[in-house]
Amino acid sequence: MELRSKAARLAVAHPGVLLAACPGATRARLAVEEELLRRSWPVVAGPASANLLVVVGDPDPARADWAENLWNGIPEPKSRAVVREAEQATAALDDGHLALFGPDDQVSVSPREERRMNGVLPSGRAGSRRREGHAPDGPAHAVRDGAAHHDCAEHETESHHSGHSGDGQDEAHGTHGGGHGHDMHAMSVVAGLPMADRADDRDGLRLDRLHVPLGPALLDWPAGLVLRLALQGDVVQQAEVDQISVRASSRHPFWNDPWLRVIAGERVERGLAARRLCAAHLDSVGRFLAVSGWDDEAKRARSARRRVLAGASVEELGVLLRPWARQLRRSRTLRWLTRGLGELSSERAAAAGVTGPALVAGGDAYCRLLVWLDEIERAAAVCGDTRVLDATELSGPRGRLNGPVPPSQALLDVLPGLLEGAEFAGARIIVASLDPDLDELVPVVDSRVAHE
Amino acid sequence: MQQRRRTTAADVALTRLGVVLLPVAALLAAAVVPLGFRSVSDLADGIVWFNAMEALAWAAVWLAGWGPNSTLALIGGYRFLAQGLAYELPHMLAITTAALGAESLRVGEVVDTQAGLWFAVWMPVAFAIYLLSAMAMAFWGPFDQPAGRDVAGGAAAELSGVDRIVFLGGRWLLLTVAAAFSVPLFLGGGNGPLLPPWLWTVLKTVAVLAFLVWIRRKVPTLRMDRYMEVAWVVLTPLAILQALVVALVVLVR
Amino acid sequence: MSGYEWQPVLFLLGVAAASLVLLYGVGASLRVTSEPLNTRPFSGGLDPDEHPFSRFHVRWYPVTMIFLAFDMEMLFMYPWTKVVSAVGVSAVIEMFLFLGVLLAGVAYAWREGAFRWS
Repeated sequence: MELRSKAARLAVAHPGVLLAACPGATRARLAVEEELLRRSWPVVAGPASANLLVVVGDPDPARADWAENLWNGIPEPKSRAVVREAEQATAALDDGHLALFGPDDQVSVSPREERRMNGVLPSGRAGSRRREGHAPDGPAHAVRDGAAHHDCAEHETESHHSGHSGDGQDEAHGTHGGGHGHDMHAMSVVAGLPMADRADDRDGLRLDRLHVPLGPALLDWPAGLVLRLALQGDVVQQAEVDQISVRASSRHPFWNDPWLRVIAGERVERGLAARRLCAAHLDSVGRFLAVSGWDDEAKRARSARRRVLAGASVEELGVLLRPWARQLRRSRTLRWLTRGLGELSSERAAAAGVTGPALVAGGDAYCRLLVWLDEIERAAAVCGDTRVLDATELSGPRGRLNGPVPPSQALLDVLPGLLEGAEFAGARIIVASLDPDLDELVPVVDSRVAHE
Repeated sequence: MQQRRRTTAADVALTRLGVVLLPVAALLAAAVVPLGFRSVSDLADGIVWFNAMEALAWAAVWLAGWGPNSTLALIGGYRFLAQGLAYELPHMLAITTAALGAESLRVGEVVDTQAGLWFAVWMPVAFAIYLLSAMAMAFWGPFDQPAGRDVAGGAAAELSGVDRIVFLGGRWLLLTVAAAFSVPLFLGGGNGPLLPPWLWTVLKTVAVLAFLVWIRRKVPTLRMDRYMEVAWVVLTPLAILQALVVALVVLVR
Repeated sequence: MSGYEWQPVLFLLGVAAASLVLLYGVGASLRVTSEPLNTRPFSGGLDPDEHPFSRFHVRWYPVTMIFLAFDMEMLFMYPWTKVVSAVGVSAVIEMFLFLGVLLAGVAYAWREGAFRWS
């Protein structure tokens, strides 16, 4: 027993952390990331390798079953922590870590597991736009496991029903290529879930098609974004943007804060705005590089982001950023890999109301990266500017902030069109290259804020 | 230690088979890799044996990806098949080129032939292609797409506890074995001055591994939708040309 | 002779199996709970609408066909390596003519766009 507990202690000394960041909590997320780095706890890609679930932000409790799902997917030993404000990060992580050793967390899951087994899910599904019959609320265990559940027949007819109600998925997933019908193949239901359907692909061939919601708790993914994808193999056939719901915030979106304060009539130094812009782009580029599989450079981007926010001098930032940006620009492999992904011409971008770097780039993912790099270096050079930002320069990291809609809304509007026909890895890079900031869409309770 | 994990309607047997197969294949491939001049067994067709064992990884990764009935894992599994289609042919041509240089499929004889000049020196293309495929077969470094972080660990996305350790450990083992096998094939095996042969093998293996780690830091992940074309249109003809050159040298020798 | 060669390989297989059993045994003894966790597949937190088991995108299959052609060719190439100097010039000419024919196939497939995926 002694040996066992020692081994267990060793195993969770550096717990794998699954980060579930909500929109509106960028400040808290940055604090948590910094704290994790300091403790050298690995941030893991999924629940299977996680010990500690860290929910950052303030999800709408009535529709937070995505967080519950994540929790249910983590194997024992596990614990969770909620970080609503940046200041809580250290304490919450400590508590979460401590709970990993505690005796009570082991029992605490069991009842919930029990409920799942009986097919009862916590109420309210995030973005529950789908019809009931189609929702996979069936018993959680497989029929083939021998535990033939008496509900199964019921579920089967239910799903049959939804299948028959005639291309019903159109309702939930938008339109797809005409001339597709349901074959019997689609009707088979195992363990409460239907099998993948078939549909015409981008080249007019008929292939298996799979509907899957992607996000919100993926690594290097815009916080809170959910994409409802129709996949054929790993090719995105169709995408629909959704998001998780959070409670209204009392703060400005972190990355837009300086400009929004100007709108609200405050005096803000240019250097401060430049610093924020620089850090925001470094954050985006970090995600972009990580998704492209270049961990080393992504790490450099993130450590630079930390330095920028920590108030490093213009000279230090120059030394830090110039060689880094030069290396990225010179990398032929990176160019070769990201060229041609998510082509968004200036005209199309302008028509959709996109105003930020994506409009300036007027091209593919690689062009957007280059624009970010340019803006990072330009902003880093004027971090020390103490003049006052005037009300005509209201362009935040993602675009103009005094437009009719938040800039990220325009990015989200163009996203589905860019994703169609992209391969999964390419789709991830496209998302990262636009990097919509869902903080901007969080309703703000404070009436001072004019941008909504 | 972590609790085991099962996904809805998963094919547990297939997953388990895939997970276990990976390290076993790697170990069996290692049977023909000599340390110094002695290997576990110097089979008459050792090179074919290595190739066959390493190809088992295709099955292993795909099974581990398919089994859990999870989209991201499935994508990871399929990515490895695509990767296999891209890397395997230049890889096979590269190792046959080494075999051709020694006119033998016995690893021991390949090493003996390099007592003078290393194959890496006069078959640089084959050697370079071999190094690329060593990373690709262990889906590691620039070829880590099948287990990429963008698909939450891909084929390993749903594995926890021992399964995870065995699978990822198997991957490391495969990488090491692949790097180690480049030593007898191209770098003269245990041949070298002063030091004992086993130490030479170890040193060369470590050097190859260090080089691979360095590459990983310098290059982003190569996506198969781009790499496929390069592999077939550039690498394959190059590998064939290299084989032709070596064949001519063998003829006149 | 050949039986003697294979014995160590079998032994190695035994070692591999034994260490796996040992590893799984240690895992089982250290595990906090013996009950496996039944869970939904992960795709970011939300459950999938359908079973992910599905066939894959068609673009794999043309490449697979070409690959198979070359794979068959490798069957000939392995033994061929042992006899090149014994058979002489004709061996080299025949093998590379064969490879050339296959490469022509690759060129055709390339022109048809079989390798352009995105």
